[in-house]
Amino acid sequence: MNLREYQAKQIFARFNIPIPAGKIAKTPDQVKQIASELNSPVVLKPQLVVKKRGKLGIIKFADTPEIAREEATKLFNLIIKDEPIKIILVEKKEAIQQELYLAVTIDYSKRCPVIIVSRRGGVDIEELAQNDARQILKIPINILNGFTEQIDKQIQDFAGADVADYIQKLYTIFRRYDAELIEINPLVKTSKDGYIAVDAVLNINDDSLFRQTALADLRKEFGDIDPIVEEARANNWTYIDLPGDIAILSSGAGLTMAILDLIHYAGGAPANFIDTAQIDEEGIYNAFKLLIKATPAKTILINIFAGLNRCDSLSMGINRYLKKFPLDIPIVVRMVGNKEKEGHKILRDAGIDPVSNLEDAVKKVVEFSKTKS
Amino acid sequence: MSIIINSKTRLLVQGITGDAAQHHTKLMMDYGTNIVAGVRPGAGGSEVHNVKVFNSVLEAVEQQQPDTSILFVPAKVMKQAAFEAFDAGIKKIVIVSEHIPLHDTMEIVARAQQVQATVIGPNTPGLISPGEQCKVGFVPSSYYIPGKIGVASRSGTLTYEIVSRLTEAGIGQSTCIGIGGDPVIGTPFSKILKMFQDDPETEAILMVGEIGGTMEEEAAELVQKKEITKPVVAYVAGRTAPPDKKMGHAGAIIAGGRGTIKSKLDAFEQAFIPVAKVPGDVVNLVKRLIL
Repeated sequence: MNLREYQAKQIFARFNIPIPAGKIAKTPDQVKQIASELNSPVVLKPQLVVKKRGKLGIIKFADTPEIAREEATKLFNLIIKDEPIKIILVEKKEAIQQELYLAVTIDYSKRCPVIIVSRRGGVDIEELAQNDARQILKIPINILNGFTEQIDKQIQDFAGADVADYIQKLYTIFRRYDAELIEINPLVKTSKDGYIAVDAVLNINDDSLFRQTALADLRKEFGDIDPIVEEARANNWTYIDLPGDIAILSSGAGLTMAILDLIHYAGGAPANFIDTAQIDEEGIYNAFKLLIKATPAKTILINIFAGLNRCDSLSMGINRYLKKFPLDIPIVVRMVGNKEKEGHKILRDAGIDPVSNLEDAVKKVVEFSKTKS
Repeated sequence: MSIIINSKTRLLVQGITGDAAQHHTKLMMDYGTNIVAGVRPGAGGSEVHNVKVFNSVLEAVEQQQPDTSILFVPAKVMKQAAFEAFDAGIKKIVIVSEHIPLHDTMEIVARAQQVQATVIGPNTPGLISPGEQCKVGFVPSSYYIPGKIGVASRSGTLTYEIVSRLTEAGIGQSTCIGIGGDPVIGTPFSKILKMFQDDPETEAILMVGEIGGTMEEEAAELVQKKEITKPVVAYVAGRTAPPDKKMGHAGAIIAGGRGTIKSKLDAFEQAFIPVAKVPGDVVNLVKRLIL
């Protein structure tokens, strides 16, 4: 779960990391009002999930409250990558002396938290990392020891005591909120006030939301919750929407990805997939139902490798669904594993010609997707 | 022989009284796994499929001397259960559950390094050594036969899909291990490959990877450096998936350009590791290696 910038900044402020003066607005008039109160040139920052807002040209500067209102009017009419701009963060524009980059994230290779400090911040930080590595300090953290004096000293030597202090606070937030990434880019050195976190990123590990209930509730502020994704999640399944026309029901992330690859190689395009864990008769009935509800598709592929569950009971679940909700699009069921023969017989009774070989099933479903309806 | 588990393994089942744990305790025993104890706080003194249940891991260790533990414990309390096993001196633990908070997994991994324990998982179907008639986890044993291929995989069902084809072709396995599907896991490919290298029964290695992370690249580097001299075949799922941009700047800085499908395929090529494009190609590639 990725917090919006203003939500992350609210948390930063609670931990005494300085943020620009500002407020969020939902209408152009509110934007004007906030700009008047700030009594300073302002920056307008749409609160979206998409990154690189600067490059998209949707971060706007305004010298007067009236210009702020005009810019806001235009922004509130925009839809960026399917996401309408509903909230704009209006902040005092800061004078910039120097920009730094600070982050705490997970080093998946070393399997521990890692601190990143760059003496140069801004948008092209990845390129800097490739081209001038001396500007960047990376410190892996032993999670059981945490932020030690030695680490503090290392950062102080590299970027000064203030930066070391902010990193320590970021690390505290990272641990306190089960973050996958916390980032300030840029941390700006201003003329007199020391430093200010001009941007803020805070991404929370979804598997920890059960103990981060306050953050989980923040999602509701935006209506970010996709009911299909939520229903899948509630069942411990994964649902992913894709741009094509073949709906897929499969189990296991690896096998599902392998199927997506095979479909692409065969010239087809997946519309979505549900990746279920091991399921039973009732489970496949519900997963089937969710799949149909999710996105319109031209055809469906169900792939079952019944290692521990049984083909016969899963076939009964499929049959039960089809009896209640007859399909008007072709379906391919690939089914192998325990009680395979029995499962195939039940499917045939329901008018489905089951397939045993995965590649054959993919070929068939891609053909269906190419047929003119 | 095999790696990590064998016929002498003395297995403890933590959380043995749960439905899934009871079910798989039975299946593991039927296959031949030597289960010596179970743990469930409050259920000490009872039995599950004739396996004695203890209140704590320490008690189980004192009474039955298990050397390996499988944890059928809810994700929310996995960290406590894993630490309890470490504290009682267990050196090998298998974590099958998924959805464990990443910070908890990092703590488990760090603690395991301190006490020099091996963690398999999280989010794994477990492992099986067919020649030793030992399985720890819920892999469907009927698809596995004894043999000389060591299999390491990030995925569950995809491994069954591929191994069933090997078995059909008469190619058996020394140990098949699901290393886990989570972004942070206890034992990455590189360590498993070293274990297979040291296992006299394993003649060739099959690595089933996925996009994301840099484990495949790290394993390929070992092969390139000749630390692994046994033949290796790879398959990577998700070759056509759009690149994951979730981690943004920080992820890119850490990964340093690695983790994409291209970097994985390049790493395999440099290490002369043949890569199956589709699951169906794996059998032929493996056949070529062992003939």
